Amino acid sequence: MLELRRVSKAYMGGRQVLSNLTYTLKAGEYVAVMGESGIGKSTLLNLVAGLDTPDSGEVMIDGVAISELDDAAATLLRRKTLGFIFQAFHILPHLTLKQNIALPLLLNDLPVLRVEQMLAEVGLSGRGNHFPYQLSGGELQRVAIARALVHRPKLVLADEPTGNLDPDTAHDILQLIRAEIKKNGASGILVTHSHTAAATADAVLVMTKHGLKKTEPVERE
Amino acid sequence: MQKKDNKSCVLMAAILAMLLLATLHSQSQAGNQEYASVVSGHVLEFPRDYGAHPDFRIEWWYVTGWLETAEKKALGFQVTFFRTATRHHSNNPSRFAPRQLIIAHAALSDPELGRLVYDEKTARAGFDMAYAREGNTDVKLDDWYFRREPDGRYLTEIQAKEFGFQLLLKPTQAIMLQGERGFSRKGPNIEQASYYYSEPHLDVSGTVTLQNKPLAVQGRAWLDHEWSSEILDPRADGWDWMSANLDDGSALMAFRIRGKDNSKLWAYGTRRDSTGQIAQFSADQVEFIPERTWNSPHTKAVYPVEMRVRTGETEWRLVPLFDDQELDSRGSAGAVYWEGAVTVFQNEQNVGRGYLELTGYVQPLDL
Amino acid sequence: MNAPILSGWLLLGEWRARFLQAIVAVMAIAIGVALGFSIHLVNAAAFNEFSAASKSLSGQSDLQVHSKQKYFDELIYPRLAQFEGVRLINPVLEFMVPIPGDHNSGNDQRLRILGIDMFRAAGMSPDLLGVPAEDRLMDGLSDDAIFLSPAAMEWLHVKQGDTVQFNVGTQTLELRVAGGVTRARAGQRIAVMDIGAAQWRFNYLGLLSRIELKLDDGVHHEAFKTELEKELGAQFFVTEIVEQEARLASMSRAYRVNLNMLALVALFTGAFLVFSTQALSVARRRSQFALLRVLGFTRQHLMRQVVAEGIVLGVIGSFCGLALGYGFAALAIRFFGGDLGSSFFPGIQPDLYISPAAALVYFAVGLGVTILGTVLPARDAMRIAPAAALKSSQENNVIDSVSVPWSAIVCLSLALLLAQLPSVYGLPVFGYLAIALLLIGGLALMPRFAAWFFSFALYWANRRFSCGKLHATTLMVLARLANVPGQASVALSGVLASFCLMVAMAIMVLSFRVSVDNWLEHVLPADLYVRAADSGKQGGFLPDEQKFLTELPEFSRIDFLRYQQLVLDPRRPEITLIARPIDSADPRNTLPIIGEFIAPEELSGHERSIWVSEAMVDLYGYSVGKQIMIPVGNRLQSFIVAGIWRDYGRQFGAVQMQLSDYQELSNDMSINTAAVWLQSKVTMDNAYDILHQLPYGDTLEITQSQTIRDTSLKIFDRSFAVTYLLEIIAVIIGLLGVAASFSLQMLSRSKEFGMLRHIGITRSQVLVVLAAEGGLLTTLGVMLGFVLGWCISLILIFIVNPQSFHWTMQLYMPWDWLFLIAGVMLISASITALVAGRRAVSGSVIRAVREDW
Repeated sequence: MLELRRVSKAYMGGRQVLSNLTYTLKAGEYVAVMGESGIGKSTLLNLVAGLDTPDSGEVMIDGVAISELDDAAATLLRRKTLGFIFQAFHILPHLTLKQNIALPLLLNDLPVLRVEQMLAEVGLSGRGNHFPYQLSGGELQRVAIARALVHRPKLVLADEPTGNLDPDTAHDILQLIRAEIKKNGASGILVTHSHTAAATADAVLVMTKHGLKKTEPVERE
Repeated sequence: MQKKDNKSCVLMAAILAMLLLATLHSQSQAGNQEYASVVSGHVLEFPRDYGAHPDFRIEWWYVTGWLETAEKKALGFQVTFFRTATRHHSNNPSRFAPRQLIIAHAALSDPELGRLVYDEKTARAGFDMAYAREGNTDVKLDDWYFRREPDGRYLTEIQAKEFGFQLLLKPTQAIMLQGERGFSRKGPNIEQASYYYSEPHLDVSGTVTLQNKPLAVQGRAWLDHEWSSEILDPRADGWDWMSANLDDGSALMAFRIRGKDNSKLWAYGTRRDSTGQIAQFSADQVEFIPERTWNSPHTKAVYPVEMRVRTGETEWRLVPLFDDQELDSRGSAGAVYWEGAVTVFQNEQNVGRGYLELTGYVQPLDL
Repeated sequence: MNAPILSGWLLLGEWRARFLQAIVAVMAIAIGVALGFSIHLVNAAAFNEFSAASKSLSGQSDLQVHSKQKYFDELIYPRLAQFEGVRLINPVLEFMVPIPGDHNSGNDQRLRILGIDMFRAAGMSPDLLGVPAEDRLMDGLSDDAIFLSPAAMEWLHVKQGDTVQFNVGTQTLELRVAGGVTRARAGQRIAVMDIGAAQWRFNYLGLLSRIELKLDDGVHHEAFKTELEKELGAQFFVTEIVEQEARLASMSRAYRVNLNMLALVALFTGAFLVFSTQALSVARRRSQFALLRVLGFTRQHLMRQVVAEGIVLGVIGSFCGLALGYGFAALAIRFFGGDLGSSFFPGIQPDLYISPAAALVYFAVGLGVTILGTVLPARDAMRIAPAAALKSSQENNVIDSVSVPWSAIVCLSLALLLAQLPSVYGLPVFGYLAIALLLIGGLALMPRFAAWFFSFALYWANRRFSCGKLHATTLMVLARLANVPGQASVALSGVLASFCLMVAMAIMVLSFRVSVDNWLEHVLPADLYVRAADSGKQGGFLPDEQKFLTELPEFSRIDFLRYQQLVLDPRRPEITLIARPIDSADPRNTLPIIGEFIAPEELSGHERSIWVSEAMVDLYGYSVGKQIMIPVGNRLQSFIVAGIWRDYGRQFGAVQMQLSDYQELSNDMSINTAAVWLQSKVTMDNAYDILHQLPYGDTLEITQSQTIRDTSLKIFDRSFAVTYLLEIIAVIIGLLGVAASFSLQMLSRSKEFGMLRHIGITRSQVLVVLAAEGGLLTTLGVMLGFVLGWCISLILIFIVNPQSFHWTMQLYMPWDWLFLIAGVMLISASITALVAGRRAVSGSVIRAVREDW
């Protein structure tokens, strides 16, 4: 599904973030990525999303080297294949929940029928016409999850999705993310600092200067 | 502000100086044929000739005299009304057409003040606001006037900025025709002449206002009335003139026209004694000999304020009432001359009082 | 806590972060202040110079005696001289003579000549004495000499010793330039000559235009004046210098005030820009302020913080504005003279004087407007609930606090009310207040309108959304505009304000122009107008010349017109008396009569009709049917006002009467102008030839009515050039506002765009969203601006103009121009939004998603 081939990235000023990183994520696999701050987790996500290009190496999504595409093509690929969940939710305040969730469908010219279903799946049925300010943090993240998966992406990238949430809500959200990814048959990458959170993934990758190293989840429910 | 005023005043000064003095020169105005000319043998007729003669270019009535206040304080006074004709506007029907201009000078010599107080006015004749009438002496410029009554007395009133006077002048003697029965030559050319008569020994009474205080005065005055179209020789630099009412009842007048090299271009003198006997002195019989000079602090001019005047065999010494009787009107009217009350001595004896006029000492009178 | 230091850090930090926006805000204030200040400076300089020049003509007199007619019998002069208390007296004959030939100055082809008595003038107005050549000192009295001011010499291309030619009636007169004038003001074109010569040469025999008096010390001026007026009778005025200044001021006051108002408009628009800058800056920094509150900033601290920012912007902007304004004014005077295209201040060359008071006022206005534009956002900043703001990215909308429709409704109804009120001291104060309120009300109502408009659009979009046929970009655009009307209207206020003022001005100017055009057609029915040069009190054509003209076979009809200037009120400028044949069957055939009128047959035999211009109604209170007294000949004569006609030519009033009435009353048979209709087969060229072959043909000024029309419109356009310039500047400021608010929105919306880029929106789609938002907003702004502008134009046309210039006009809409401007506005606003939004597609946006602050 996702293949990183000898990917290197340095930032201006010469700080080497990734060097020669090679990793393959299989379809349907849901992994958590952990590591020290600044080690390159976010860079990794940007490269995967096609929002950044590697200095060398290739990022292949479904056999397509997204790292070789121009911005427009990368955007199209991203629009179709990827789903995002952010720490700060990023729900558009002036759109209703339904409209927020429908955005990826509209962008991909897909029918919006699935919106209601997704709302139900994330436990917000009947609230589709509410505006974001009427929701709590946990509920906002549920909307974000629905938005991330509504168009059946092949890969969901979640960057600290529970960083702004209390442990109980976080637990529910992590379960929901996992459940939704699995239900939709997508792959998933969860970037987190929390071992508890990481434990909800199939596998945990620890990111070091030398690359990604797989460890078994510490805790498994 | 001050500077601007000065500028325009200097301008006016130049113009007025021109009017007063340059018209005396024949050459300064071409085509003076339009004016009547002064000829020998013409008989003056009175009272007609007391009045103005507008056909002549220039004319003046000139009164000088000594006054005495109730406190026996001596004062000198001078009133002059000039009339001058311009060549302009001969066809102009406008009432404002400046065909005749009236200029008036008035001055008072107060030894306590140590200087002359002076004022002048100029206007075009017209609208009954300024005129010089024919037939009898009647000259007016706004509220200043000089007028002869039918009985021969003169009235004059001057209200100037610093002073004023209102005087009645009563004749005590007959009029005195100068030169050849009123034809008075002023230069080597026969055309350089004027009609000229005087009235000496006028009995003066009236009021002088000085520093807003009216003072009753009495005194003696001398009137000259003279008109001409062409007077001064182009070579003339200025003139010295004197008149005196002598205590013995006789009247003395003398003048000389000075050339540019300080030479005597022309001179003349008359003396009429109390019996009416007239002695005339020709050019070579009249001498003006400077005795003492005074340097004017105002104009840097040097005036021979004390003079010996010789008429024939007789010599008179003129001593000024005070030195600074310079009339410096460049700030307003432009003319600068010395016009002073003088005491007349003969053989160290005070024999009378008169006026001395010294012109052309600052700058030559040709413009 | 050391608040000042912290404030300083925050200020610097803020401006470092958005230097450009701060600069734009400063520029807006600066331009507004600069325009106002420079117009004030130019006007003040022109007015000062004009009145100084006029005053220099009247010297240092205490009182002046004028007559109701321009000239009066000189015999009053010796009478006045005898008055007790008169110290100095100075008779003056002042008149204008046309200068033949073109001296490339358009409307100012006349030379002012003063006839003076140099001996009298020396004590009163020594500046006016001529300066003759050293060897021709008598020229001041000469009957063929004239003295010219330096500007007049330059204008006429002559020097001392040359000759100048003048047309007097049907004669030509040649005068010798004898020298200069003692002191004339720079640019002042005057000539001085002897009063007797002037009376004679220019045909003013027996006439004076004024007598100046200086009184003895201690004479009570007021009492003296009253006594003198009683003595002289109703034909005469006695005025003091103060009254003459009032009269001069009243001549140009309406024009000056109106121009200043326009300048204020620019400042007003600038204020919106400051407001939007500050409002959006507060919105963007909500969480920052929240943090400050959490850290211990009180509400007052925050308030002070935001206001301090505004003050610093205001001080810098206003100060730059003053400097800029001075520069503008200097340039304007250098290149256009003092009259800014109008012809109120002809023939002068003013110097700029800075009055500290005026500078302070404009500085204060600039600063005040800025502070005003800062207080609302500051109030919003104060209200921030720290905890909520820290967590949520919800933007509050500053404009909501003013968008309570009540205030808008109050403003609008107050505007309607004020529009009904009369002028104050001849100035349309309430009219302008009404315009301001209309503008404020309209802007306050703006968010509501935007919400309604876009909600409707969104409703429609939602229906399509349900059908799944909606495009994401459309949804995003409409949803944002409908649900965040506050931000929309911030961006909109600039567009709205500038466009509506533009519309208002455009409608007003076009209405005016078309009305003037129609009027010109009505008042210039003949083919040719032949004017003889003024010749004093006499009109140019004498009776036998008139007869000769009438008998020429080439002309089908000739009307003779007699023009004269009258003073009815010494505090007001002269009015014009026009005597001409007026169609007694229906005066409307001759005059552009408006409203009701009295037909001549309704008047009894001994009553005479007079038709008065609109200005006479406003200024002198005349009305149809009223009996009035007008000086004709040497006496006041009684007339009945038979009708009111429209006059764009003479702002200070004019009256017309039958030529026969005039001639009967005044015994003045001369005329100034002949209106000539050609026989159908006679060409213009033939007519010119015939007229030029007259013995006095060279002195005639022949104009085709078409030329007069063209010239008038050219002058009209020139005098409105300044208003066009101001309009353009207002639009530029409006666009700057769009740019500023959009670029600020880009900052506050960077996370939104970051997210959108993540979920697969392309760069071009983001740009489309932005352009669409900008375009839609501008469309709405233009639509509302049009409605508002139309309302304002009604106030300008039907209230401000009649009140300040005393004329009415019809409404005409400049559709093509309006569409063009709307289009330009739309495109430039979209482009502005795009340019401002290019940050939205930059790489930093992606990172913004992960920044929590």
